[in-house]
Amino acid sequence: MFKNFLKVMFRSLTKNKAYSFLNIFGLAIGITCAALIFLWVENEVNYDAVHVKKDRLYIARENQKYDTYVFTHQSTPGMMGPAIKAEIPGVANVCRTSESTNSLLYSYNNKPLFAGTLYAEPSLFSMFTLPFIAGNAASAFTQLHSVVITQKTAVKFFGTDKNVLGKSIRVDNKQDYTVTGVLKDMPANSSVQFECVMPFQIYWDNSPWLKSWGNNSLTTYIELKPGVDPKSIDKQLYGFIQKREPKNLGRVFLFGMTDWHLYNDFKEGVKTGGGQIEYVHLFSIIAWIIIFIACINFMNLATARSEKRAREVGVRKVLGAGKKSLALQFIGEALFMSFIAAVLAVILMALVLPAFNMLVQKQLTIGFGNVYHILALLGLTVACGLIAGSYPSLYLSSFNPVAVLKGLKLKDSSAAYIRKGLVVMQFSVSVVLIISTVIVYQQIQHIKSRNLGFDKDRLLEIGLQGDMAKNYAPIKQDLLNSGFVQNVALSDHSTIYGGNNTSGMTWDGKAPGSEILISQRYVTPGFFETSGLKILEGRNIEEIDTASKPIAMVVTQSLAKLMGGKGSALGKRIHYEGDTTAAVVVGVVNDYVYGNMYGKPDPVMFFSSSPEHTDRMYVKIKAQQPVEASIAAIQNVFKKDNPAYPFEYRFVDDQFNQMFLSEMLVSKLSRVFAALAIIISCLGLFGLAAYTAERRIKEIGIRKVLGASVSGIASLLSKDFLQLVIISCVIAFPIAYWAMHTWLKTYQYHIDMQWWVFATAAVSAMVIAVVTISFQSIKAALANPVKSLRSE
Amino acid sequence: MIKITNLEKFYRTEEVETIALNKLSMHVDTGEFVAIMGPSGCGKSTLLNILGMLDDPDEGSYVFNSIEVAHFNERKRADLRKHNIGFVFQSFNLIDELTVFENVELPLIYTGVTTAERVKRVEEVLDKMQIMHRRNHYPQQLSGGQQQRVAIARAVVNKPKLILADEPTGNLDSSNGNDVMELLTDLNEQGTTIIMVTHSEHDARYSHRIIRLLDGQTVMENIMV
Ligand SMILES: Nc1ncnc2c1ncn2[C@@H]1O[C@H](COP(=O)(O)OP(=O)(O)OP(=O)(O)O)[C@@H](O)[C@H]1O
Ligand SMILES: [Mg+2]
Repeated sequence: MFKNFLKVMFRSLTKNKAYSFLNIFGLAIGITCAALIFLWVENEVNYDAVHVKKDRLYIARENQKYDTYVFTHQSTPGMMGPAIKAEIPGVANVCRTSESTNSLLYSYNNKPLFAGTLYAEPSLFSMFTLPFIAGNAASAFTQLHSVVITQKTAVKFFGTDKNVLGKSIRVDNKQDYTVTGVLKDMPANSSVQFECVMPFQIYWDNSPWLKSWGNNSLTTYIELKPGVDPKSIDKQLYGFIQKREPKNLGRVFLFGMTDWHLYNDFKEGVKTGGGQIEYVHLFSIIAWIIIFIACINFMNLATARSEKRAREVGVRKVLGAGKKSLALQFIGEALFMSFIAAVLAVILMALVLPAFNMLVQKQLTIGFGNVYHILALLGLTVACGLIAGSYPSLYLSSFNPVAVLKGLKLKDSSAAYIRKGLVVMQFSVSVVLIISTVIVYQQIQHIKSRNLGFDKDRLLEIGLQGDMAKNYAPIKQDLLNSGFVQNVALSDHSTIYGGNNTSGMTWDGKAPGSEILISQRYVTPGFFETSGLKILEGRNIEEIDTASKPIAMVVTQSLAKLMGGKGSALGKRIHYEGDTTAAVVVGVVNDYVYGNMYGKPDPVMFFSSSPEHTDRMYVKIKAQQPVEASIAAIQNVFKKDNPAYPFEYRFVDDQFNQMFLSEMLVSKLSRVFAALAIIISCLGLFGLAAYTAERRIKEIGIRKVLGASVSGIASLLSKDFLQLVIISCVIAFPIAYWAMHTWLKTYQYHIDMQWWVFATAAVSAMVIAVVTISFQSIKAALANPVKSLRSE
Repeated sequence: MIKITNLEKFYRTEEVETIALNKLSMHVDTGEFVAIMGPSGCGKSTLLNILGMLDDPDEGSYVFNSIEVAHFNERKRADLRKHNIGFVFQSFNLIDELTVFENVELPLIYTGVTTAERVKRVEEVLDKMQIMHRRNHYPQQLSGGQQQRVAIARAVVNKPKLILADEPTGNLDSSNGNDVMELLTDLNEQGTTIIMVTHSEHDARYSHRIIRLLDGQTVMENIMV
């Protein structure tokens, strides 16, 4: 029996090559697409899975409550870690690290190289899963000037990861460090990332501010003993800092490693349950939708072609085939096609994986060594086969043998309606995707073209290295002399990012009890001109202000409003609570967006700084100068004035774009998915149009004999399909509107939806449908009627 | 073998109700060769479909081999049918994707005959129908007469007790038609009961008895001598 089915299937597949191709290719695209998405999802969901103790590892976070919002961050006081370990019994271990990796200059054999370096306590190696391939955790940090590097870093420094233990390498052109360990490279989906790690003690010794309970500037990781409930620890952490510093706003709590990547979204100090997980959900849904669209194609084509197979069903029934065996036969066919599609999909995946990796910025592999991958692909294939085969098999196996053998036209309107319904569903999804794609794109463009208040174009950020601060004056002069540079200034913070803020300031007339977060920035004169901030009132910062008493400062407009009330803020004073040293407002600049690109920025105070207290330089390139040549000229200046260090720079523009990575990903992926959904839908529509034309070939012949024109017939054939597309739009519009409305609401700064986006989507869906159908319609309309009538 | 009493069959469409069979009664004995004749639309095919259990009557009784089958469900009918009844159609109804051999083999597959036995029986019957040399051809590669011989081979391969033939010569020229009638007569002589619908008085003469229908009722029975 099975052999017989196989034979019939093979022969009918090879006989109807175009049909088979449409079916299998459609499914293959669907499976490829879904499989790629699931690879991505797997990678996301398994974030930090390498860390054996992931269920017991936490990062200490802090909530700080202000007037308008709760600020949740993960910077903690330097004194806190050891105190927690000593005082809270459920804690197994604590590890303090620097907040991020610092780019340090290493030189081996006079070859200078930067490497991202973390400072960490030795417990790092036992808490996180970081296997040594040379050296060991116990002895790695017994000496102060030691450094543990990853395999990749070893290759980068020494050209090999063999026999590098004990090698000496110079850091920052000052101190020699000994390589005391080589770590296996950590996977990209691990939260702990560094190229080199050095003893925390070094950082501690060089950072006196760490010793205060009021300064949050390092990360504290906590490992709990097995079976300890983090909630019970949270209770003890809530007032932990306040025991030492009663007025401190920071409320510490534990944030579990399994949530770091996917659920890192806080509102009002509480985990929202959102974060990257929302994208994981979104893309999983999209994967299934695409699979479903591909299956719909299959169903459509299979039922459309059913008339051709009706006779076979009839004969089989006359000869005694039961409904069940027929249904199984057709399900079997669908499964078989789905398997061919899966094989094709694997080939397609191998071809597009590099491009997909570029798109999602990951290094995913198909990984056939992984049993789960095989099982997942198998599952997906079977699911496809079952979904795709379900309706056709029920439909075909229920044919009445008397009717089909008599050659009754299968008028069966319910099947026709279902077929139309399926096409409508496909096109609805496509239209929703088109609309969403456009709106996501618009929103991102909207934010990117937001007036930030400063000018990020042609603005270079250069980290201060070596003696650049000391030689600032001549370097600045050389840069200006080069003719390419308009302005140069220094700052202690990146203009575009957040950081270093305080709520401890007060002034006359400040509402009692209100907590306002204000950022502090130390800059050199010329900073406003360089970054394009406008002085609205008062004067610029000057060099002498570094020593002026009271301290002179320039504030942003929003702070000026708070301090000045209805009048001017100029001359008003501000000071730390409980401290009499005051700063006076000498100028006001416009507000500018930093930190959160979608939100309203906090106020900023600018103070004049000497070059030594800054750590980055901003260089504005002249408007009319070509960028490439300007960079070359700037590089030349640094080669001459700071020869010991390689020249490294970043465009503020790029930093800005970096902040939209996940939005860009959504935008790009939604574009790809929309295109794929449309392509798959069109494959189906193409097949259906071909089928309709074939079915009506006699009618067309008669109409032509009676004098119908080619265009008349082509439009006759297209009309029905266009109706379907219009219905799809009617269904898609409210869904798209609702979905996009919900999405846009998550942004404070967002666009309003415009009707023309919907209109454009409708028109493009129609144009695409017409182009797809017209090939078949015109072919049918042009056919010689004598031929089609005789063949009947 | 077959006894039907007051059989009725209606076709309802939106506007009209057609009475295809109107209180029809008749019987057929084992070993008979019966021809059914009558003008177009009088209900011959409808009757044959009901006799073959492809369709069920709306009213009346149908006793097949002493079993009342009028209200059997589809599965029971299929079961009874595949073991007892063979069909021959005017339009042959071979499956295009299967070869001659495979088409004839199909009923055996559905009744669960083993592979070796199948090959033996198919070859036997193809031999008898003299189309053994075409066993690996597809239906489209055969003439009408050859296709009908394959169809008859398929109808008899399961050694059914009853063969139902709806205008088996309708699409054939007279010489091919005569061949088919000879085949049916042979089968009948070997003990198979045959009920055949035909428009041709010539073909009807091969039978033992002619039942004439008009508007869904028997109007006359001629016994052949
Ligand atoms: N599926 C159907 N729906 C509606 N009416 C039907 C259907 N099948 C048959 N009829 C009607 O039932 C009556 C009997 O039809 P049947 O096919 O049995 O005629 P017939 O005697 O075989 O005719 P012919 O010699 O032309 O084959 C006819 O009037 C026909 O119109
Ligand atoms: Mg008939």
